[in-house]
Amino acid sequence: MTTTEKPDYKVIGTRPIRPDGVEKVTGKALYGADIHLPDLAHGAVLRSPHAHARIVSIDTSAAEAMPGVLAVVTHKDLPVVADKVLDMGEGASTASDMSKNVLAADKALYRGHAIAGVAATNVHDALTALEAIKVEYEVLSPVLNVQDAMRDDAPLLDEGRHTRTPSGEESENASNVAAHNRFEGGDVEAAYAEADVVVEREFDTKMVHQGYIEPHNGTANWNSDGTLTVWTSTQGAFAVRGALAELLQLPVSRIRVIPMEIGGGFGGKIGVYLEPVAALLSRKSGRPVQLTMDRTDVFQATGPTSGGHMKGKLAVKDGKITAAEVSLAFEAGAFPGSPVMAGAMCMLSPYEVENFKVDAYDVVVNKPKVAAYRAPGAPNASFCVEQLIDELARETGVDPLQFRLNNSASEGSRMITGVAHPRIGQEETVQAAQASDHYNSPIEGPNRGRGVAGGFWFNAGMQSSVVASVNPDGTVNLIEGSTDIGGTRASLAMQLAETLGIEYDSVRPTVVDTDSVGHNDVTGGSRTAYASGQAVYEAGLDIQQQMVARAAQLWECEAEDVEYADGALRHTSDSEKTMTFAELAGKQMETGGPLQGRGSVVARSPGAAFGVHVVDVEVDPDTGKVDILRYTIAQDVGTAVHPAYVEGQMQGGVVQGIGWALNEEYYYGEDGRMENASFLDYRMPTSLDLPMIDTIIVEVPNPGHPFGVRGVGEVPIVPPLAAIANAVHDATGHRFTELPISPRRVVEELHNLQ
Amino acid sequence: MATVLIPSPLRSLCAGAATLEVAGATLGEVLRAIDSRCPGFYERAVDAGQVRPELSIALNGHAFRYGLTEPIAPNDEVTIVPAIGGG
Repeated sequence: MTTTEKPDYKVIGTRPIRPDGVEKVTGKALYGADIHLPDLAHGAVLRSPHAHARIVSIDTSAAEAMPGVLAVVTHKDLPVVADKVLDMGEGASTASDMSKNVLAADKALYRGHAIAGVAATNVHDALTALEAIKVEYEVLSPVLNVQDAMRDDAPLLDEGRHTRTPSGEESENASNVAAHNRFEGGDVEAAYAEADVVVEREFDTKMVHQGYIEPHNGTANWNSDGTLTVWTSTQGAFAVRGALAELLQLPVSRIRVIPMEIGGGFGGKIGVYLEPVAALLSRKSGRPVQLTMDRTDVFQATGPTSGGHMKGKLAVKDGKITAAEVSLAFEAGAFPGSPVMAGAMCMLSPYEVENFKVDAYDVVVNKPKVAAYRAPGAPNASFCVEQLIDELARETGVDPLQFRLNNSASEGSRMITGVAHPRIGQEETVQAAQASDHYNSPIEGPNRGRGVAGGFWFNAGMQSSVVASVNPDGTVNLIEGSTDIGGTRASLAMQLAETLGIEYDSVRPTVVDTDSVGHNDVTGGSRTAYASGQAVYEAGLDIQQQMVARAAQLWECEAEDVEYADGALRHTSDSEKTMTFAELAGKQMETGGPLQGRGSVVARSPGAAFGVHVVDVEVDPDTGKVDILRYTIAQDVGTAVHPAYVEGQMQGGVVQGIGWALNEEYYYGEDGRMENASFLDYRMPTSLDLPMIDTIIVEVPNPGHPFGVRGVGEVPIVPPLAAIANAVHDATGHRFTELPISPRRVVEELHNLQ
Repeated sequence: MATVLIPSPLRSLCAGAATLEVAGATLGEVLRAIDSRCPGFYERAVDAGQVRPELSIALNGHAFRYGLTEPIAPNDEVTIVPAIGGG
């Protein structure tokens, strides 16, 4: 661990047991599908068998007449919503698009697109009724990748869509390119003309899924008083509430969203899919309705992340990257909103690049609407840039980590947006990787190679609020609204314990529903330990302040004469007058009543995250299989609140990146059918595919957080794609520019079988 | 005067200018001041009294969805950047 000077924390930096651990390992934790309500009806969703089709008519009459069927809904049951941009905390989407994604309107835009929902007394009746719904389709040609979608003669997903630019310009002709942005700075042509070396390549990545274990689910009860209660698996209960309010045209105050335990999200559980359908079915049937997905539904109908096509051209002069020209075209899926802008803004951020031209195209295709996935857009874009940087280092004979260090951004360096970096840990992270045992150990043997890559992610702040109630025995109940997907119950409880100077075990955190705490933005953007941690800190300070006032009341002195430190109150000039936190907690009734601390923040300074990865691989030239021999990740985490969970986030991101690099892809037939929509055929890595992943925690405290916390959860997925491609190149001499680097592709490349 | 960095995607509204020096005590006033020199800019940046959700404002390097009443000091650096979301 590399550590800069930091305070002597008592709780932060320790590794206590997570509060929700026992319930989860004993199977008692309640997930969305565990909800059982009186008169609960079960639903099913009819999905399009076509990737692109006009919906001529839908006849639900036969299904409605079937035994056990309680209600059938289609898009016509959804209110007409305005083309208003909805901020789900993971990027913006319009209410109109969201509504059409929940239940298809005039067109089915991908295979698996929801067409109708049925509620019945049991799931078997609901599934049988789906077969009785008659849908007449006019089947259209699908467009399945960005190159095809961007052709002038491509079939259009939406004849009314034109390419928009941020300045408000619109293309004359309709297009599948929903948006085009260009960032430009300096003079790339002059830099190319003077360069020592210029490298240029094109890259392709495939659509991949977050692969969370728990499928989506939603249970809704439209109460007779017009209020709506929803139980769901989500990263953002308040985001779900906001989306439901817009889609169903209900006041926010009438909707209560209860976030259940979540079996993984990684960004994919922020949008809504089943919840609005369950709500409509509940309103129509008068009963609570539960909908769940199976794995095929999850793959075909929920947000993966974009595949895309990229072109990159980088130049070096005297060891410095002098120019970068990159064009990114990312699949948005059926509706606009790919993470191409995030990719564009991330890929060069670890480095100082004066001359740049970056084009970003958001392209609709006949695939599911993409959702956020861990540092959305950045891994794809870095797959392009970090391989080109590897080539520049090789061409100029400089060690690839030293080359990155020589070009590293630091405080004051400007990103392509023009924004200057505040204090960042890019250089320290590269240096940590350089000093690692891994990097200083030789790699020997045939068909083996080593690769490195760096990565950047912005991290987010946004809104959080918590309430902390002090109990008479000196324990504290922490009420929070951030879904716990990465151990944040523990990391928030630790930050409150640190603030109050009490034991970690004295704080009991609970994640509550939208009626029970103030607004909290999504658990996403690596924001929760940082932003909700800041709210927790504020709540702790609030309690401290109130306790000081009460101690002053008891000691008949001024509040200025009382200090709070290390979980105790002391009179500054009378050493006899001291009280522990627990002692004063026991005197609440006589000192003014229940003690509650509140914290409510809009966190503005998340502090960016940087990671540098080193990976060794062995490539079997006969089978094409790539084995990961050794993997080390160095990452600036600001301050590691709970180092074990930080390491878990780092390792988890790497594992997902390894899957993305080597095996995972949405594999489509020409008709737009995903042909590997199960975990049997969609190959994710298992423990048998992986070595121990070594972690090096770098701590460059974030000046924008009281404990120096930076988000940690996303950046570890950014470098693996390129790091592995660089390692495979080192092992084979072949540059793999298309993902996944699967056995088939490796054999084809090594043996010229394309 | 605050320094406003205009991102390249919005420079066509400002005759290609990359930076502008404008006066304004709040973010709203700064954006209005830009609009007086780059007509149409305010409308591209603000909708219904808020910075558009697809945009973000970086104030002295810290990107955030600031409100229009956010105080701006004379030497502040204001950058308009596309908003991003995480997973």
